[in-house]
Amino acid sequence: MQPAPERISVQANVLNANQQTAIANRELFAREGLIVMNLMSAPGAGKTTLLEGTLKAFRGQMRVAVIEGDLQTDLDAQRIKALGVRAHQITTGTVCHLDARMIARALEAFPVSGLDLLIIENVGNLICPASFDLGESLRVVVCSVAEGPEKPKKYPVMFNKANVVLVNKIDLADASGVDLTELERNIREVNPTATIFSLSARTGEGLDAWTNWLQNAVQTRVQTALASA
Amino acid sequence: MHEISIAESIVQIAETKAREQKARLVQVIKLRLGKFTTIVPEALQFAFEICREGTLSHAARLDIERIPMIVRCAVCDSSTEPMCGVCLICSECGFPLEIISGEELEIEYIEVDSEQEVSQCNQHQNEFQSRPMY
Repeated sequence: MQPAPERISVQANVLNANQQTAIANRELFAREGLIVMNLMSAPGAGKTTLLEGTLKAFRGQMRVAVIEGDLQTDLDAQRIKALGVRAHQITTGTVCHLDARMIARALEAFPVSGLDLLIIENVGNLICPASFDLGESLRVVVCSVAEGPEKPKKYPVMFNKANVVLVNKIDLADASGVDLTELERNIREVNPTATIFSLSARTGEGLDAWTNWLQNAVQTRVQTALASA
Repeated sequence: MHEISIAESIVQIAETKAREQKARLVQVIKLRLGKFTTIVPEALQFAFEICREGTLSHAARLDIERIPMIVRCAVCDSSTEPMCGVCLICSECGFPLEIISGEELEIEYIEVDSEQEVSQCNQHQNEFQSRPMY
């Protein structure tokens, strides 16, 4: 006769292993006194172009480095390095998101001491990266106008987890027939407290408001860290 | 297809727990999965069937309990499922809603056959143990 199975209580979060590594990453970043931004979007929303515009604005003002996540190629890291900014490329092969362990491994070869800001450009994907904490202090989601106004409602988890939503490619709003007010309302529905900036990374319209906000966030954090040291 | 990563973690947690208890075989893994996650149950079942191979969970069933999304308005003091898709603004007073449940992704329990009761199967057990972990 088959013995009755024994039930063992587990009560464990499935992502616990990633979470533990994310906590260790976050502690390391806190010790170094730097802000870490996890930049996420669908493929082609303009993350790298936005990053180029942001980095140009910070030239000579802040010490910034970038970790790039892509399935294949180091093209994005090359674009960042061309601006004279340190960059490290993680190629995930077929994995559709970055996880905390990939960041921990990257940090072994890519020291972050002396930085003010580390930007992690995640794999272009609005689904998977939402589940994986990297240890970041700021989650920024880019949504391009050309993707249509309903994107936030279709991918609510990703938009809900964002601290900041950047509406990019506003220069294409008329051509795409997209009402920016409707898009912003849809972002608010799934994330009533997000900070929203509308801009065009290509033309530079609206970029200042975003880079000033980020610079202020970084400096406030740096001052807080210095005060507590 | 991040369900593969999720399934690997599920199998690994079950494996660790089962070995701690000196279990021979995992029969059931009970998962609580909130509706406000990015995990698709069907894709997770498929990924689980791949990831469980060569582990103590190789014949295990993954029982998925879907947990509804419940939101609460601090002003109206009401808890409901969100209206109009996932609208997190209170339809009564316009206040931002707090997510009470729906983000769960946790193993509640596992059901195992223990070693003591089925000692004649030790040979199989050793065979599974010698295979690499994920």
